[in-house]
Amino acid sequence: MESKRFVGSGSPHIKDNTCTKRIMLDVIISLIPAFIAGTILFGIRVIPVVLLSILSAVVSEVVYNLLSKKPFKQAVDIDLTSVVTGLLIGLSFNVKVAWFVPILASIFAIIVVKMIFGGTGNNIVNPALAGRCFVFISFLGLSTAYVSGGWVDPNGITVGATPLANILESGSLYNIGISKLDLFLGRNLAGCIGETSKIAILIGYIYLSIRKVIDFKWPLIYLATTGLFTVALNGFDFRWFMPSILSGGLMFVAVFMATDYVTTPNTGWGNTVYFISLGLVTAGLRMACQMEVVTFAVLLMNIIVPLIDKWIVPKPFGTIKKQIMPPKETQK
Amino acid sequence: MKVKEIALDGLIRQNPTFKLVLGTCPTLALTTVAINGIGMGLAVTFVLICSNVLVSLLRNAIPDKVRIPAFVLIIASFVTVVSMLLEKFMPDLFQTMGVYLPLIVVNCIILARAESFASHNKAGYAALDGLFMGFGFTLALTLMGVVREILGKGAFFGLTLWNFKIEFFSSAPGAFLTYALFIALFSAVYSSIERRNKHKRTLKPLADESLSQDATIKEVAKEAR
Repeated sequence: MESKRFVGSGSPHIKDNTCTKRIMLDVIISLIPAFIAGTILFGIRVIPVVLLSILSAVVSEVVYNLLSKKPFKQAVDIDLTSVVTGLLIGLSFNVKVAWFVPILASIFAIIVVKMIFGGTGNNIVNPALAGRCFVFISFLGLSTAYVSGGWVDPNGITVGATPLANILESGSLYNIGISKLDLFLGRNLAGCIGETSKIAILIGYIYLSIRKVIDFKWPLIYLATTGLFTVALNGFDFRWFMPSILSGGLMFVAVFMATDYVTTPNTGWGNTVYFISLGLVTAGLRMACQMEVVTFAVLLMNIIVPLIDKWIVPKPFGTIKKQIMPPKETQK
Repeated sequence: MKVKEIALDGLIRQNPTFKLVLGTCPTLALTTVAINGIGMGLAVTFVLICSNVLVSLLRNAIPDKVRIPAFVLIIASFVTVVSMLLEKFMPDLFQTMGVYLPLIVVNCIILARAESFASHNKAGYAALDGLFMGFGFTLALTLMGVVREILGKGAFFGLTLWNFKIEFFSSAPGAFLTYALFIALFSAVYSSIERRNKHKRTLKPLADESLSQDATIKEVAKEAR
């Protein structure tokens, strides 16, 4: 018998209160500003959309657990990852989305992308993005009819193309009729619930950075690369820099989805390579397809992550000073 | 007895699509609608039966060193026959199958059966093997086609059921997902049946030979002494 005062354990002997549930709780807290901003901008219909996607994500995880013959207590005891997945899915739709679209996205994200591959921490791509991609392919008309948000005034809601789509399609910055301040605050522009208000995303980003849930460097590297490559593709016209960063779902994805622990490389250099190439892919595909492709860019790079991890192997302990990373077993 | 074995092998135990994972290319590309699956399956079945019989009849005449080119030659001639027949009598199906019809020549199922079964079995058995392997393939393709048609097009064999389409299932990623899920389901059901059979087999001798238990106990007691 082992005595209780002497606990033998495997090699990482660092003690911390970091666990999946705490990290996921932090992510949920950091998403609340985006949710509130979405509710203010797009009206009360945001709440059922988000709640439906969270609920269907949680229910599908429990049902899968029960189907795979787990005991009831274990099946109900889910970590908050599926709540985060559902929340992210809910926030990445426009308000007027048909009711079954977020439900199908959540079910696909949880059952196919996460649970079939082995549950939390074993998915090869980000579940929320894959779920969104699934419904994006399936119901093209239903999920892209973006609604522009009125500032507090719900009557001001009109259907229109997103500013990014306008910029990319017309190829010039001058006829979009929207100021950078509007882009930043999310006023009077069409888009998804969570992504339009950049200031809410920034609050979430700062919170996550302070709580050390994500490393503050990576979203910045991603955004900077995307902006600079867009500038380079347009003949080094630096007026493209801010609009390319502030429009579309780029910032939302950069902060909350691209930084997912499971689908990013394990090493610092690996992450550098990952986020820089993510920026290049995003900017390049945006200009080539003339539409918002952040979802597909991140999914594409997620698949390459194992290769990056294979190429970039960290030096053995003792040769360099290493930064302690949070455990790579959680996901958003 | 052997006929039953061949039938079980072709339809379930060595189902070309779900168990051997052969001929994936037409499986993924042609199962968007159920009727294409049936058409492809029957075309392959026909070629499979004919080539199996001919390979089996010529098995002593074909030198071992050049058997693969010889098999391919036999298969290719039958594929040409099928594609000409289809072009004449079912031009619509011929159009939809497109490049996958001539590609039957290099379909792994046909070559695999010629190599592993027909080349050392009698012609009658080879024909049966071709028939059941082809039916296994057709069945698998039709099942996948039905599921993908219902989900992706809201229809069943061309009959519109409802106006709800998940277009993902009509596209290539949907094909991969459906295929993977079918393989998973098939192996789950198959292995559970296999386990039950094994369980029965182990229970039977114990029930029949209750004496054997006594004998072993006596032996153990002897050794202990």
